[in-house]
Amino acid sequence: MAFRCSIGSLTVVAAVAMSIAAAQAHDESKYPDWSGQWRRPAGINNQWDPTKPWGKEGAPLTAEYQAIYEANLKDQLEGGQGTDPTYTCIPDGMPRAMNVIYPMEIIILPKTTYIMIEYFSMLRRIYTDGREFPVDDGTLASFIGYSIGKWVDTDGDGRYDELLVETRFMKNPRSFDASGIPLHADAETIVKERFYQDKDKPDVLHDEVTTIDHALTRPWTVVKNYNRERNPRWFELVCAENNEYIKIGDDTYMRSPDGRLKPQKKGQKPPDLSLFNTTNDAAKK
Amino acid sequence: MLHRISIAATALATALLMTAPGARAHDDSKYPDWSGQWRRVEGGPPRYDHSKPYGRGQQPPLTEEYRLIHEASLADQASGGQGLYRTSARCIPMGMPWQMYALFPIEFVFTANTTFVLSEIMTSQPRRIYTDGRAWPEDQDPLFTGYSIGRWIDHDGDGKYDVLEIETRNMRVPRIYDQSGIPFHEDGEAIIKERIYLDKADPNILHNEMTTIDHALTRPWTVTRNYRREKKTIWTENNCVEGNDNIAVGKEDYLLSPDGFLMPVKKGQKPPDLRYFDQAQK
Repeated sequence: MAFRCSIGSLTVVAAVAMSIAAAQAHDESKYPDWSGQWRRPAGINNQWDPTKPWGKEGAPLTAEYQAIYEANLKDQLEGGQGTDPTYTCIPDGMPRAMNVIYPMEIIILPKTTYIMIEYFSMLRRIYTDGREFPVDDGTLASFIGYSIGKWVDTDGDGRYDELLVETRFMKNPRSFDASGIPLHADAETIVKERFYQDKDKPDVLHDEVTTIDHALTRPWTVVKNYNRERNPRWFELVCAENNEYIKIGDDTYMRSPDGRLKPQKKGQKPPDLSLFNTTNDAAKK
Repeated sequence: MLHRISIAATALATALLMTAPGARAHDDSKYPDWSGQWRRVEGGPPRYDHSKPYGRGQQPPLTEEYRLIHEASLADQASGGQGLYRTSARCIPMGMPWQMYALFPIEFVFTANTTFVLSEIMTSQPRRIYTDGRAWPEDQDPLFTGYSIGRWIDHDGDGKYDVLEIETRNMRVPRIYDQSGIPFHEDGEAIIKERIYLDKADPNILHNEMTTIDHALTRPWTVTRNYRREKKTIWTENNCVEGNDNIAVGKEDYLLSPDGFLMPVKKGQKPPDLRYFDQAQK
């Protein structure tokens, strides 16, 4: 892929220049204060591009994936889930996790920056110890991906102010958002991010996210914004707790409020219950 | 509850002695090295007290009322059901103290004001153990992880902390200790006290003395967890939902067959009620 310029070599140079990470004590004064709880701004829904309306984000999809997206929107209109895979409570994965539907916390340590997102208990480890991307032996893929980061002091004041991150090895199924904007089936997505605090508002954090994917005709960049709550209250969002969707085989059904199975679409066939008959008949014998 | 001796006052005093928490920089040299990935030492079937057999063999000091609830859970499991493990089979967190069993690996992350315990299994939310001297909040909703206040102790006076004491309250119910369904009291008033420290002889072994105080117990129940540090750290993503073949509909549990069909978990179990489907479609 032409877009794939690794930041690994830059990371190594930076790590050497700054002394070996393993030997570093954690000098907090070198890092920005991103403590507290970060939330998406009020009024921003779960659309990938926060500057555009949900479902009309103008994703630069290839013709093939635009057709997949259109079919997905039609399915959603009919009551289906389309290409949004998260209704079964699998994690959003990257880059969608950075929609930060529920709050996140960022912990900065010398070798790793942790991003904990309350939704699905998603945890990102962004390695800033100068490592290279590992060779995938087939076990690396995850929804959240593998992230390597590099701290940058852009204004030369002796304190880092930007975190550059590159994420690879994400697995499918994923979509950019709940409208179902698809990522390519080859799962070769690369996500590049630039985190930085707003210059005028220290309680605003920006994440410039560029996604490189074969379902796109060009890299797609959006800027996510997060507002800080300095005295946070944390809660637990347990997706499975009130999930009304049930996937049985290739079909999705719903749980009714009175605890019965019901169709999600008009005219949907019920699930095949032949194993009950077989099992019960066998039990009678 | 007589057992409830808060550590908040001690923690507050400690924090005041150590300067205001908000102003503290994180001095790595004061903390023990608990970096890396920790896994349970003991093998065998997951059980709360690893020194005893699974199920009744755990000999939890339950009141008679809660012993009968545990027996009912075991009986349901013996007939193919989930018993009180049912919610966990649906990927709802087991919370504290089970998440410190480390069936899947855990990581400790220290900052000046908080110690985090991060779990690979995504149904265990991050634990935030506040070490900033705060008091218990009065308006916090119950969480499966509970609300934890900790205190670092320099036990041997060498200028470096070596023990983390934690008290956890305000945990959500229903909750169980292990997969056999050893129950907590439904009043949600349990308190868990932990004492975590490195083994003196082996710095790659961590111990966690856990004492649970709960109205379902006749006395505080103490077990010791042991964790081993992995030399090579590989984190995977365990989200519980993928590959979960347990299907709950209403009060009934079913299984998903390998080829994607709904199937019973118990002999003679009735299929789900399909009254909401168009009769002509059945």
